[in-house]
Parts: sequence; structure tokens; C-alpha cells
Amino acid sequence: MVRDAHRLEPDEVRDGDPIGNSDVLRTVLGEEAVERQERAIRAGYRPTRRQLLRNLGIAGAAASMPGFLAACANSSASSRGGQGNFPPHPGWKFTFINHVTTNPFFQPTIYGIQDACALLGLPTAQFVGSENSIVSEMVDKMNAAIAAKVDGIAVAIINPTAFNDPVARALEAGIPVVAYNADAPAGSNNRRMAYIGQDLFLSGQKLGARIASLVKEGPIAGFIATPGSLNIQPRIDGAKQAIQASGLPITFTEVATGAKVEDEKSAIEAYYLGHKDLRGMVAVDAGSTQGLAQLMQKYNLPAQGIHAGGYDLLPTTLQLIDQGFLDFTIDQQPYLQGFYPVVQLFLYKLSGGLQQPSDTDTGLLFVTKDNVKPYLNTKTRFEGSSSKEQVVKAS
Amino acid sequence: MAASTPNGIEEPGQARREAMALRRAAGSFLERRWASILVVAVALAAYFAVANPAFLSGNNLLTIASFLSETAIVTAGEVMVMICGEIDLSVGFVAAMAPFVMYFVWNDAGLPLWLGVVAGLIVSGIVGLVNGLVTVVLRVPSFVTTLGMSFLLNGLTLTTTGAFPIQAPEQGTRFAALMGHNQVAELGWAIAVVLIVQIGLSYTRWGLYTIATGGNLLGASEAGVNVRAIKIANFILCSVLGGLAGILLAFRVSSIDPSAGGYDIMFRAVSGAVIGGTALAGGSGTVIGGFIGALVLAILLDGFTLQGIQANTFDLILGAAILVAMILNVTLQGRRQQGGQ
Repeated sequence: MVRDAHRLEPDEVRDGDPIGNSDVLRTVLGEEAVERQERAIRAGYRPTRRQLLRNLGIAGAAASMPGFLAACANSSASSRGGQGNFPPHPGWKFTFINHVTTNPFFQPTIYGIQDACALLGLPTAQFVGSENSIVSEMVDKMNAAIAAKVDGIAVAIINPTAFNDPVARALEAGIPVVAYNADAPAGSNNRRMAYIGQDLFLSGQKLGARIASLVKEGPIAGFIATPGSLNIQPRIDGAKQAIQASGLPITFTEVATGAKVEDEKSAIEAYYLGHKDLRGMVAVDAGSTQGLAQLMQKYNLPAQGIHAGGYDLLPTTLQLIDQGFLDFTIDQQPYLQGFYPVVQLFLYKLSGGLQQPSDTDTGLLFVTKDNVKPYLNTKTRFEGSSSKEQVVKAS
Repeated sequence: MAASTPNGIEEPGQARREAMALRRAAGSFLERRWASILVVAVALAAYFAVANPAFLSGNNLLTIASFLSETAIVTAGEVMVMICGEIDLSVGFVAAMAPFVMYFVWNDAGLPLWLGVVAGLIVSGIVGLVNGLVTVVLRVPSFVTTLGMSFLLNGLTLTTTGAFPIQAPEQGTRFAALMGHNQVAELGWAIAVVLIVQIGLSYTRWGLYTIATGGNLLGASEAGVNVRAIKIANFILCSVLGGLAGILLAFRVSSIDPSAGGYDIMFRAVSGAVIGGTALAGGSGTVIGGFIGALVLAILLDGFTLQGIQANTFDLILGAAILVAMILNVTLQGRRQQGGQ
């Protein structure tokens, strides 16, 4: 049963209670898990203390998972408890449901989740979902998490209605749910407790105001990968609204570019070549922004007085800002979109619901030629460019 | 290692006789084409049930039903097309389009919703007809025909809908529940489709001709089978089932989403068909096998999510699990063939 326990070498053998302070463990992990472990030990297995803790944790979640699986899953449900002033608490398991799980944008989010879980003494939350924004797959995986009775769920609500039922089902099962990165539209029946992420419409307005102030007059094109997706559509709506509100003689056209980075670049170039009267261009997703930056470089458009800006921090985007081809990009701080949901769900569990998750704007930072250097020169978990834990010096 | 010793010199002991009887019983079970993959599915379910008590909870069984139902319906159609020796890549985009047709008929034309469902299925059938005609009359390989159709349909869906998801109609009504919002109802649809198509395959002339068309095209047509009509009919069936799956999916998730279905569900259906014993080259396969193949995929997707596997390692483990399951399956099949000597 305890497959990766090993027999102790003589010098490792200690006397006394084989699993140490088993009363505490009993309380935290439940009678059954501890007893199972003790049986295994009586049968001749002598795990080290560290293995013991880990095995107990796994035993709680999955009785006989092979070591390989265990290493890939939430590796420990054991409570280390007592971080800071916090009392010992169960190792609550949270699940993040994502729409593009393998997209590099969310690598900092994953690091944020890991760091928050480690800080609070929780097992690393599960990060799972669809690779291609397939809503039904996200819903299915969320339902599986509910069936697994996880202790909290964070979900990117990229569809206006599809998540209403699963969210309600989770809440009825006593599982707190927050939205992160993308939120149900205003006036929706979705009952998620809070949204943690960028205020998308507001950020779009700021983008629109900025490009309007740079361009002053003439046509502007707004590129969007997948119109209708709730994580980007509000941005372009906001941009359009702000440009109209500026009162400047600007016409704004919305152009769809497709979900694949290589297609986005081609679509943007094709549109530009057909509309050479453009005075400004904006993009509202990472791939389109990179494609736009590359277009600006290819035709050296800044020399013609054309301005452009967009979102997110793909390496090419940052380099081309540094070289002056793109005016700005917006950092929406994806690390925080993983970090804060964990903290909020944790406090909800710890306080027995006295601390309710609250709407949290993860911010909006304009990255321009003036402040792009630290993004290029440092590799950090905050930008997803390095997995190394480090203190980053301000520059 | 077969059960019988041809010369009969050895005197079989009691234990040996029992073992032989057991082996014969197992052999007759395994003669069913889909039996080995069923063994794999049961083994997987048993593993997850032991690994996580939540696996067998009512909630989770419903979740497995959701993972399974639409894919199983698409698989049933795909199996029939594949037995003919063809493939339909566009079925997932039919699944995305059909609920929009239903919605337009209901919302814009103001007709009853059930008529919208029928219209969605009819339009799906027309797509299948076009796929079939282009493939058998114009002799474009079905891989290319349906690849082109995929893009065409995707573009059509995106442009006509403004690429924006719509709330599924008549929320909370019995009709919506029956049309897939209720997961049990959806599973009922899937099982009904699988049984009907399997009975058609096993016991009707149409099924016999389908196998003959895929197994020996020339022979079948010389024997008087209208192989063109058979192929076209199966393309139509596959598309209609794709449309049905798309409509059920829309009601299940309460949203008609232009990015639903797609290559994702098509690929899962083809995988389910092949895992369930349908030959990629055509000529053999069963719908029940395809259903169990889809079930294996559903169990894997659900089970690993339940176990808390992280997204980045998910594919790694899923891939390894599919390989192990298929190696086990092929080994069991080898035993079946030996037993049948």
C-alpha cells in the first residue's frame, strides 16, 4: 500500500512512536489515514519522517496512488499549519479551472498559485481545464472538482451563461467559488463570490484614451483574437467607448485575428496592407499585440507617425517596445491572478466564511520604452520567465 | 498456449480441467470484438474507485456521463463512416453549427423550439450529403473534403453569429432538461443512439452493406451493393449525429458557443472509435466498441481531474494511460484470437 516507503538502514532506526506525534496527525488527517499508516509500519515498513508525512497526505486523498502519479498531483494534503500567527489548519485543496491551460500567459499565474499555497501551508492547488477554450471541457472538469469535494474553486468565466450551473452546484455543495482572469458579465445570474483580475472594460477604456491621445485623428483599427470571449471582448468595447468619448475625429474598426499566434500576425498584416490610411492600431490580446509589434517593425511604421499599443508581455512585444516600434503594452499582472484567489479562498475557509472573497483588481500597468528595461533584463516568477525564487532589485 | 493439446497424450488433472473450462468461458466472452476494451474500462474504473472514493459518488458518475455522452454520439456516426473506409473531420463543426440553426429558427423565425431542433438536424444532414457527394461523386478523398468543410462551417458559424456565445433557449423547462440539460437524459440519448446504430449495423441490410463496402469495395459493388449510396448515407448519419450532439451540448452547458465542439470532439470521437476496435482502414468495427472506447477516454479525463493532476502533466499522464490501455487491449485481443483457433 505504501509503495515508496523503504526499509530503514540500521542507523536511521529510532525508537518510540513510529510516526511521531500521531495524536496531532490523527486530528489533522483523520483516524483512518493514520491507522493505515501504522498498520503499514507494523508490517515492517520503516519510512522516514518526511516520507511518512507525505504518505499520510496521499493516503488521505488517494489510498494507493503510484508514486509517479503522486508526484504529479497535489503532493501533500498534510497540514503544516501555524504559518505566521495562523493556527494549525487542514490542508485545504483548491482547484483553478482555466481556459488555455498551456498558454504561457498563465505561467506566472501558476507560480502565484504555488507561492501562495506554500506561504499558507496548503497543498499546491490544482490548475486544470481546457487547452483551447472549449467551454464544455471546462465545465466537465469543474464538475469533477466538485465531485472530488475540493475546498475551493477559482474559475475563469469566459462564457456568459455556461458557468452559472456549475457555480451554483459548487456553492450548494459548500465549496466557495471565485472568478479569476475573466468574469461573468454585469447583470448575469452567475453567483461567483468575487472576481479577481483586471477590470477589463476599464483597462480597455484606458487603452482607448491612450491611443486616442497619441493619434488625435484618423482611422484606428482594434485587433482581437476571438471576438465574444469574455476575457478580451470587454477590453475592445472599453477602447471603443473611450475613443468615442474623447470627441476626437477618429473612426474605430474592430478586426478579428484568430486564436493562433501565427494566424494573428498574418491577419493583422493583411488588414494593414488593405488599409494604409490607418493612423493607429491597438490589440487586446497577447498574440495580436505581438503580431502588431512585428508589423510596426516590418514596415517601420513609427517613422510614418503611426502609433500602436496592446496587452501583455510576450518577449517579442517587450523587445519591440524597447526598440521603439510599439508605443506601449499593458501588464495585467497575471501572477496576482493566481496569488490572490488562493489567499481569499484560504481566508474564507480559515474564518468559517466571516471573510468573504472580495472583488480585486489586479491592476493595469502601462509598459513603455521608459520602464521596459526591468522586464527585459530580469527573469522572474512574476513574469513567468524563470521558475527561480529570488528577490528582484528595483532598477 | 492454447487450451487444447492436439495429440491428447497428457491426462488433464482436475485443476487443469477447471482452468480449461474457465478459459473457455473467458474465450467465449472475449470473442466479442469489444470485450477486451470493456475489460480495460472496468480495470480503469476499479483503479480510480480504489484511488479516490469520490469516483463512485453519484455526482461524479454524472460528471463521467457528461464527459462521455456527446462524444459517444459523435463516435457512433464516426464508426459508421470509418467502417466504410472514410473519415469525417467536419463533424465537430457541425456540432457547433447545429444549435445556432436551432436558435435562429426559434428566435428569429419565431417557430417552436422542437422545430428548431429538427431544422438543426436537417441542416446537419445536408452537410453530410454534401460531404458524401463530393467524396463519392467528385472523388475527393474524404479527409480533404471534410477538412475543407470544417473550415467552411467554422467560418460560417463565426460570421453568422458575430462569434458571440448565446444563452441556450428555454432555460429551466422540461424540454431543455430532456434535450441534454439533465445529464441523465443526455446519457439516455447517447445510449439510445448507440443501441439503434449498433442494431442497424448488426441486423440490417444497410449494416451488412456498410461492412462490405469498407471491407471490399470492388467486390461489394460487383455483388450489386450501391456502395456510393451506402457511403453517402453514412456521411449523412454521421453529420446528423454530430448536430444532435451539438444541440445536446448547448443545452447541457446552457450556452450556444461558436467554439464548442470543433476538432476537439471529432478527435476524441475518432480516438474512441479506434480504441473501441474500429479499423482505421475500414471494413470492421462496432458502435458498442466505440462507445466503450469513448467511455475509456471519459474515465481517464474525469479520473485524473479527480486525482488533482496538474494541467501541464495531464497530457503526459493521459498519453501514457492511453498507450498502456491500448497495449493491454491489443494483448487481450491477441489472446482472443488464439482462443478462437
